Amino acid sequence: MTEPQRSGKPLILEVKGLSVAYGTKIAVDEVSLEIERGEIFGLLGPNGAGKTSIMSSIEALIKPRSGQVLIDGIDITDNPQRAKAIMGVQLQATSFQSELTIRQIVSLYSGLYGIRLSRREIDERLEDIGLSNEAGKPFKQLSGGQQQRLALLIAVIHNPVLLLLDEPTSGLDPQSRRQLWGRIEHVRQAGGSILLTTHSMEEAQTVCDRVAIIDHGKLVTCDTPNRIIEKHKDDVRVKNVAHGDVTLEDVFIGLTGSEIRD
Amino acid sequence: MKYVTSYEQAMSPGPKLIYGSLLKADLLVLVKNRRSVVLSILLPMVILFTTHGNKAQQRLGGSLILVGLAITYGLMSTSMLGYTLGVARDRDAGVFQRLRVTPAPTWMIITSRLAIQVVANLVIALLVVIVGASMYHLTLGFGQYVLVLAISILGGALFLSIGLALVGMLKSSDTVNAAGRIVFAALIFLGLFGISGALGGALQFIASWSPVGTVMALFSAAINPAKWAGHDSLSLLVTLAYIVCFAGVGIRWFRWDTH
Repeated sequence: MTEPQRSGKPLILEVKGLSVAYGTKIAVDEVSLEIERGEIFGLLGPNGAGKTSIMSSIEALIKPRSGQVLIDGIDITDNPQRAKAIMGVQLQATSFQSELTIRQIVSLYSGLYGIRLSRREIDERLEDIGLSNEAGKPFKQLSGGQQQRLALLIAVIHNPVLLLLDEPTSGLDPQSRRQLWGRIEHVRQAGGSILLTTHSMEEAQTVCDRVAIIDHGKLVTCDTPNRIIEKHKDDVRVKNVAHGDVTLEDVFIGLTGSEIRD
Repeated sequence: MKYVTSYEQAMSPGPKLIYGSLLKADLLVLVKNRRSVVLSILLPMVILFTTHGNKAQQRLGGSLILVGLAITYGLMSTSMLGYTLGVARDRDAGVFQRLRVTPAPTWMIITSRLAIQVVANLVIALLVVIVGASMYHLTLGFGQYVLVLAISILGGALFLSIGLALVGMLKSSDTVNAAGRIVFAALIFLGLFGISGALGGALQFIASWSPVGTVMALFSAAINPAKWAGHDSLSLLVTLAYIVCFAGVGIRWFRWDTH
């Protein structure tokens, strides 16, 4: 695999030779990635390819078997608290304490990131994401789109240098999805870098500057969506699945296979 | 909104603010779970009121044993049904994983819940001992109250450690719920019928050295320290041993995520 060209901007995330194993099963095998400041990077792969294991290693939720993860130069293993303080995370299945109201949840998480917010400041932030009327409701009473908006608000409440989004638009209607893409772009424009996983090729092509395709724990390819298409369009596996012009989805299925993964 | 450009500019969250936020949230969760707290107070009160009378009092071993039994059941109820089920449910829902990706150290996430639970245990113990002392005309001094509160921390720790062992060994919140209720019922049974000797000497022996028996003995001794005997000292040691064993099992096998 050839290394994609770099623009020379500072690296916000460096994943070096990362391997993750669960017992004898190797979930991630020597994966290396780099994300620059202000870049939106997509991690694509079928179910069980190792995307969530890579994300969990970056989030310090699991201990990798080998390799190194640096967030703006801070080693996540050596200094997890410091690294977590500059990182925002939206997990695949976001859940907050069911007894707490939205306002209380925002207050809790802002405190965990060292920010004291007054009730008025919390309400202003909730108004920004259109949840001011829901401030007194518990999280479970919000719709899927509202839950995602709140999860994203909490992920960026401390203005992180790196934002990790694990399948942020899964289960959202097209309107909510588009709105979320806008918010992700806004984070980038404000100076943040974003690593997201997705099953949506449309999302990867529309939102991401670069994408990496992962399969069976290995990095298959990594570049801008257009360059990936250009690079693999003549691959016989890709040609076999393409109907007309080769798309990113054709390349994805061609490189990772057509069989259904659970 | 402006994003930080390097970690030097990022806020370094102070431990005081992090722990304060966790404590506040855990307290709110406890207060909102009013039903569980009320039930934990109601159960010992029911025991005190239904056994208030010479016959029942004598059959179950006297007023000190009854007050001890009532406090023990209150602690059992709040620790095993309240705390344990809450931890299992939140773990299943992914609440802990969400907290763990923040800068909050894991020890703070664990101990803030425990700290709030300990406060709840103290309130329950104090309420029960005040009502019990008034019903049975027991005159307690300041030292006895302090002793009761100290034992309630110890007793609470024992039942919390049993709960921790359950969530450590069992993954699904449904299984923890079922197992927790079975263990709770078994301990209630041992306390009510085993210790009195109504079901024979063998069961009485088992019951007196069971977690519920040792804690009851300690409460009775705390209310009347003049009668503190060798059996009570041994109960203290056995209680400590239970805490170490159950907490050890819970910590060793605890998983933050069940998926």
